[in-house]
Amino acid sequence: MLRKYYENMKAGLELQYEKKPRAATRLLIEIASAVIAAYEENIPVIWTSWYSFPMELLAAFDVASFDFEIASNSLPLLEPDTAVDVMSSAEEEGYSPDICSFHRLSVGCQMLGHMPHADLLLATSYFCDGTARINKVIASYHGKEAITLDVPNRIDNDSITYVVKQLKTITGKIETIAGKKLDIDKLRECIRLSNRARLAYSRAAELQKLKPATWNGITAVVLSQAQDLLNGKLAQEQIYQAILDECLNKVVAGSKHLEENHRVMWLAWFPQQPTVVNEIFRKNGVNVVMGERTYAFWEEKDERNPWEAMALWCLQYPYTGHIEQRLAGIEKIIDEYQIDGVIHFSTDACRHTCAGQRIIGDRLQKKGLPFLVLDGDMSDKRKYSEERTRFLLESFIELMAARK
Amino acid sequence: MKERGGKIGYFCPLVPREIISAAGLQPVRLRGETSSIATADAYLYPNLCPYIKSVLSSALADRDNLPEAVVFTRSCDGMRRLYDVWRSYLNPKFTYMLEIPKNSDEAAIGYFSKQLKDFASQLSGYTGRRMMEKALQKAIVKENRSRRLLRDILSLQRTMPVSLKGSEIFLQGLNMFSEPERVTERRIKEMHQKAWGSNGDKPAAGQVRILISGNVMDRPELFEMVEHMGAEIPVADLCTGLKFFSRQVPEEHEDPYLALSMAYLGEPHCAHTASPIQRVDEIKKLITAYCVDGVVLTSLKYCDLHLYDMPYIARTLADADIAVLSLENDYLFTNVSQMKTRVEAFIEMLQGD
Repeated sequence: MLRKYYENMKAGLELQYEKKPRAATRLLIEIASAVIAAYEENIPVIWTSWYSFPMELLAAFDVASFDFEIASNSLPLLEPDTAVDVMSSAEEEGYSPDICSFHRLSVGCQMLGHMPHADLLLATSYFCDGTARINKVIASYHGKEAITLDVPNRIDNDSITYVVKQLKTITGKIETIAGKKLDIDKLRECIRLSNRARLAYSRAAELQKLKPATWNGITAVVLSQAQDLLNGKLAQEQIYQAILDECLNKVVAGSKHLEENHRVMWLAWFPQQPTVVNEIFRKNGVNVVMGERTYAFWEEKDERNPWEAMALWCLQYPYTGHIEQRLAGIEKIIDEYQIDGVIHFSTDACRHTCAGQRIIGDRLQKKGLPFLVLDGDMSDKRKYSEERTRFLLESFIELMAARK
Repeated sequence: MKERGGKIGYFCPLVPREIISAAGLQPVRLRGETSSIATADAYLYPNLCPYIKSVLSSALADRDNLPEAVVFTRSCDGMRRLYDVWRSYLNPKFTYMLEIPKNSDEAAIGYFSKQLKDFASQLSGYTGRRMMEKALQKAIVKENRSRRLLRDILSLQRTMPVSLKGSEIFLQGLNMFSEPERVTERRIKEMHQKAWGSNGDKPAAGQVRILISGNVMDRPELFEMVEHMGAEIPVADLCTGLKFFSRQVPEEHEDPYLALSMAYLGEPHCAHTASPIQRVDEIKKLITAYCVDGVVLTSLKYCDLHLYDMPYIARTLADADIAVLSLENDYLFTNVSQMKTRVEAFIEMLQGD
């Protein structure tokens, strides 16, 4: 079922791209292609979290990678009722409705036979407990090995060495599955490509500082959940360069078509399921200028030390470590992007992001910045209320307007 | 610099008490004491571990009596955020976030031993006393002794009928987390004697034997419920039960930090390092060793580490013809009557077999 969805999606996107070659469309085509490729038989498939695993390592092997969270969570957008049915199957098996809908969908798809085969399952520890856990659970269904790349909270020599050691162990496992040794020069080349992509991305992000901002930041937030799939690949640089060109064209054209009454920063995730958020923003001239995961938080990776570079990328992630690491990124964006208000999307079971809301709220209050906790759910339409979303967002927009 | 002593609070049983004792401090595991956890909702958020929220609510309600020093662990998302909130709103004099790896392989053991060394060094900075390796070795021997005594009692529980009530052992285990070592040792020795001499008040043979397996539990309601139904609990595989007593730290190891690391990351595995397959294997071993008839899998609500594994464990045990009951609890056991109905039905089913 899932494969069919992606095949249809890809066909539609390709038609769209032919008519209007937009960078975001190409990125979606790449994502769909990666998912479809994982269903090919007789090829090694490595499951992982595209958004948190240093994908340059997999790019260096050129193996198929499959992100079970991203893949299964297209369902709420394409077929919200089917998504509920899949989650219900997981719940009937005993998976608590209190666990993340992303993971109920993933395990539901697994139980119903919608997932491709897996040769190795890699997860990381630093986003949430759930991802690493469900990775192990799904690995049990496959009878394959699950590995958690354990990323500590603190950044020091010990933690860098520890992460590097794990990456090297994982490399050994991938070598066995891919049937070839790692070519260190290829890895360096992937790091180089990743840096070039970062540069293009940073320039595009820089343009978001203009008023009005040139790019719809919601697209950036949504795509940031999957775009790291291409880390270390030429396609990523090309797509980011195309995004930059599109933004520059808008600047040259004057960007007068963009109504921007309020500049908002988006924290945590953006719902995968259809909501009224976009409609309300359009109606009220709200522009999501930047999300906390969509700025280039990491330094250029040192291709001479690829292992340390990949380890540092994980360690510097906004969600790794204490709340200060996250707050530092949030405050930097607020200051640099002239933000009028901050929205934290509070998906029901996302414990690590939601449990930081109070501290973030208090810090923003000191700055005198409106802050909204928008509760809802990423993928479960049973936990979504259009009326409540509308009420919360409209009140928040009124608050931002009153401050002007 | 003035030397500091006193108590140091901690939460996760994977914090090596040995290091705290060697620093001249008394380790006290913090428990939630208030009947409401609503206060914490304002600081964390509602869908978070009720143990964490309960402890935070208690702390907010009794700020004057909090330990000045508190150790946190990178053991779960909730604990990571509790660390942030505690430092932001409760102004402790000393906090430490102990990095507990999510793996238990060689790299993880090596990294954890370095973290333990750093913890000891930070504690020395706090107390103003240099921690001597000799003191640590001594603390290892002492903690091993208390845990061994409790394990000895547990080994007597393999007999049918059990020597002591499971609830009694469970409660003594909880005391170990908070009371001074000498008190613990005296109590366990008394219990040991009672276990050896318990002939008179033994329940009749042929009772249903239940294994309780889960995470943190600080209250006896579930034990009492099972025992009230006439069933026995020979063993409880909980973070605050067997998982804690089972740690045996090598005493003669040249590097005591490495020895601690190996013991704390080793078997029995904590849910945050183990795979569901490993957890099933460990449960199956207990079922055989303690002649168990049925398993009650329990978890705190919103504990992702356990809730994700429970369906797989339950299914695998059921496929092996082992009776399983899965229960969520809210730490304070406010849902006791609903739970009671399910526990009663489960035990009646086993009694009928």
